[in-house]
Amino acid sequence: MKKIFLIILLLFTATSLVAQHNHNHSADNTLDVKEIDSEHSIYHLDAKWTGHRGGTVTLDDFKGQPVIVVMFYGNCTDVCPILIQDAWRLYSSVDESVREDINVLAVSFDTENDTPEVLNEYAKYEQLDIPGWHFMTADDADVRTLAMMLGVQYSKKSDGHFAHSNLVTVLDEKGRIAHRVEGLNQPMDEVKGTIELIMDRLNK
Amino acid sequence: MKLLTNIAPVKITLTVLAVVMLSLPNWVGAQVLVPSGSFHSVMPEVKGEPVAVNSFYMDTTAVTNKEYSEFLQDHEDWQPGNVPSIFAYKGYLKSWENTNSDEVVNPDEPVTSVSWYAANAYCQSVGGRLPTLNEWEYSAQLMDFDSSADAREFANRLMSWYSTFDSENVGDVGSTGIENRYGVKDQFGLIMEWVQDFKPVIANDLSLDCGTVGRMQKLGNAYSYAASIRYITRMSFSPKSTNSTVGFRCAYDVETIEEKEASL
Repeated sequence: MKKIFLIILLLFTATSLVAQHNHNHSADNTLDVKEIDSEHSIYHLDAKWTGHRGGTVTLDDFKGQPVIVVMFYGNCTDVCPILIQDAWRLYSSVDESVREDINVLAVSFDTENDTPEVLNEYAKYEQLDIPGWHFMTADDADVRTLAMMLGVQYSKKSDGHFAHSNLVTVLDEKGRIAHRVEGLNQPMDEVKGTIELIMDRLNK
Repeated sequence: MKLLTNIAPVKITLTVLAVVMLSLPNWVGAQVLVPSGSFHSVMPEVKGEPVAVNSFYMDTTAVTNKEYSEFLQDHEDWQPGNVPSIFAYKGYLKSWENTNSDEVVNPDEPVTSVSWYAANAYCQSVGGRLPTLNEWEYSAQLMDFDSSADAREFANRLMSWYSTFDSENVGDVGSTGIENRYGVKDQFGLIMEWVQDFKPVIANDLSLDCGTVGRMQKLGNAYSYAASIRYITRMSFSPKSTNSTVGFRCAYDVETIEEKEASL
């Protein structure tokens, strides 16, 4: 009996530390990004994803090359365009000769509204219906699983919008998390360096 | 003679019913509709404003060892030993010696030591999903008490349950005698359960500590203490956690159940 009480006390202490650690955030709808384990491959998730061009892919179709992943939703008109632009900033900062080897996955968690057709329009509107860019979605449970693996939190609000983390993730050639950029409008130099390191390794 | 004619139709009805029930997949009858409504969250950010929840279906009981072993037969990926470490800590199903559904130990007890990923995959496999945190908490608060004395007694029982929890001696599902007014059982008194978004959105602003519990308890309803313990405990979970105190049940969108019933 006492044990349980001790455990609960320990939980209090641990969680209050975490909470203090997380204090540095501002906007109401911004969730902090959770700690994740980068030792393992995201490609263990064998879900089927539908892209904005209509085809079906699994994540490990992208293995062998670095991948940039962002999670967003189409009806998000304030922060998501910035998040998508952040991914573009990173992508376009990489030397043109290696850019064609990089894939960008923009994954929507609004499985209700963001059909492949809607995502197609979105891609065109953002002028990102270009090779290497994949706007995609899947079953609710699979999207939720990917978010857990990346450490992206999202939660649907009663007005249909989502509170969500803003995170750009780079996966290495094996699908392991190589770099994470938390927050909007962050400098991309360091993460660009990570992509170049991966490319150097692959081109040896 | 007269007696027989009276009985015969009843017999037929029962037989037909039995046949119908046998021919239905597992999920039929195992869940109930929880109608839309709202509840007062114990979280401080809500400031007295009720949280609205849409109608959904939910399993009346937590998923049992037997049900989980049946899932393992069809989904070898989720058998202990096959699960990549990205999806579960080593404690996954740690007490299981046999995954064969005929030999599973304590078949009617809730399955525990399953990670969030495993619970999520199970619910997906039966056409459902994990309940959202708000759905789960809303359902838990839909109990009827005859009097405020009854409610107080219930709150006291919960307090003693949370302080004497023994994961070695979990009862069968349905054994707590606690159920909400729609027939959802054991949301208190059996195990902790996974929900879809187990770290609530407001968690960032919130320091969850003893002060929080005090604040929550000031709300003074029968659920406050239990709810505060749950919110705080969930914050310490990782999606890979495999606690012997944590299991799950599934929820279903109303459309999913209606489509399935229409197709039968």
